[in-house]
Amino acid sequence: MSAIIEVTGVTKTFGKVTAVDDASFTVEENRIYGLLGRNGAGKTTLMQLITGQDFVTSGDIRVFGQSPVENASVLQRISFIKESQKYPEDFKVKHVFRSAPWFFADWDAAFAEQLIEEFRLPLDRRIKKLSRGQLSSIGVIVGLASRAPLTFFDEPYLGLDAVARQLFYDRLLEDYAEHPRTVVLSTHLIDEVSNLLEHVLVIDRGRIIIDEDAESLRGSASTIVGTRAAVDEFVGARPVLHRDAIGGLASVTVAGLDAAGRSAAKAAGLELVPVSLQQLVIQKTNTTEQEFEASA
Amino acid sequence: MSIALDTAPHAPAGAFGRIWSVVKLNLANPWTAIILPWIILGVIFVANVAIWLIIDRAVGDAGDRADAVDGFSYSGAAMYIFVYMMVVAVQTVNLTFPFAQGYGVTRRDFYLGTSLTFVLLAAMYSVGLTILAAIEEATGGWGLDGRMFTAIYFGDGAWYERLWIYFTAFLFFFFVGAVAAAIFVRWKANGIIAFFIGVGLLLIGLAALFTYTGTWPQFGAFFATAGWLGSYTWSLVVTVLAAIAGFFVLRRATPKS
Repeated sequence: MSAIIEVTGVTKTFGKVTAVDDASFTVEENRIYGLLGRNGAGKTTLMQLITGQDFVTSGDIRVFGQSPVENASVLQRISFIKESQKYPEDFKVKHVFRSAPWFFADWDAAFAEQLIEEFRLPLDRRIKKLSRGQLSSIGVIVGLASRAPLTFFDEPYLGLDAVARQLFYDRLLEDYAEHPRTVVLSTHLIDEVSNLLEHVLVIDRGRIIIDEDAESLRGSASTIVGTRAAVDEFVGARPVLHRDAIGGLASVTVAGLDAAGRSAAKAAGLELVPVSLQQLVIQKTNTTEQEFEASA
Repeated sequence: MSIALDTAPHAPAGAFGRIWSVVKLNLANPWTAIILPWIILGVIFVANVAIWLIIDRAVGDAGDRADAVDGFSYSGAAMYIFVYMMVVAVQTVNLTFPFAQGYGVTRRDFYLGTSLTFVLLAAMYSVGLTILAAIEEATGGWGLDGRMFTAIYFGDGAWYERLWIYFTAFLFFFFVGAVAAAIFVRWKANGIIAFFIGVGLLLIGLAALFTYTGTWPQFGAFFATAGWLGSYTWSLVVTVLAAIAGFFVLRRATPKS
């Protein structure tokens, strides 16, 4: 496995605001990464730094082994249509798909056409008149059909209906299987994408707080449900991430429950409930679910 | 499902290929920069013909007629197209630039490709206006002594002198628009305010300089000597400075959303 992105001690400040705070991580080739975090956590800034659209205050970024800043040989291999992407004043949807092949060597026009059909994008409509979901569809289709070796999807689900979300999910996995590439999916809607992700990066207030394989992250915590007394007795000195109690019942999320721990819990008559990625992230960022969803 | 078996990565574009792609991107929708300006120019022309006709019918006296024809030579009817091109330059740098970044275009390639677009557009419009000016001269002002493309500001020289005057004027408006927009993209409203204050101070400073040194006559004489052709040629100094400044301003700019 080789690292496509190497971020080392990167900080980005805007005046007094620190948007990215001493971030260090690597992104390996041909995997799907989730860049998760609340609004304003620093996701977009981080992606702009990686794609050479913004400049680091300190630290070092290597993409395909080189600095991405003003580096055509690096940037030609990147597709990054931002959630807040600006389009030329007079562009209609068709102008985006007319011009995209000039910039992506591996652009697949037939695939783009199929996706435009499936997402029901009106080609003749001005970009300014599009709905939020249609704007997201443009980003999704350009990201998929460009087949760029490093593709960013910035909030791809924003405004998409359930059918379109499923479509994105299916097409991404199919195309990724046929044309492996590195995908970074940035979103605050974690549950929507959690099944796609192979690796999870969570950013909070500019700091990378989780950088872990998705499987091991899911296994890193379990929720135990049962009577309060039984749960308390079982939990003992185990590290507790989260605790809920209603009447005589308790539900406690503990970190790192091994096989022996699991059988012990079952023996004690306790129920083990899987922890969703979203719940895990919320608990690790120490914010309440309401707060997290309010940011959505 | 038919899937292309050609999965090998295509050759990446070379330096000129990348710059040419930016030219194509700027003209991907030819409506704004090519088609609409000619339509508007046509409408303005028709309106002018109507005015010339009305005046032609209204004035009988030879002296009045000479006055009217003299007035035609100060026509500003063709001016709009230069200002329009400045707006095109502003929108290109303000909106097409962030879009091109999403396509992985470097600032350098964007600026060079956009500059080339401006030069090509300036050439196209200059040739077009030169042809119209030649027709205007050959037909005695469209048979009405009308003047739109041979207005006095475009000089009174041969066709190739007029071609040069149009061309330098277009370049001036394109690149001044581009540098102003680049300042906006990089420093937002504060930058633009500072820019205009700076330009204002510079002009006031020059005016003060000419006033205190009593050199206004020399200043006027300079342009009188240079003539229309020479004066437009001198505008290239400002144009080139704007073009260079635009490059360095945009080179470190990050479009904010």
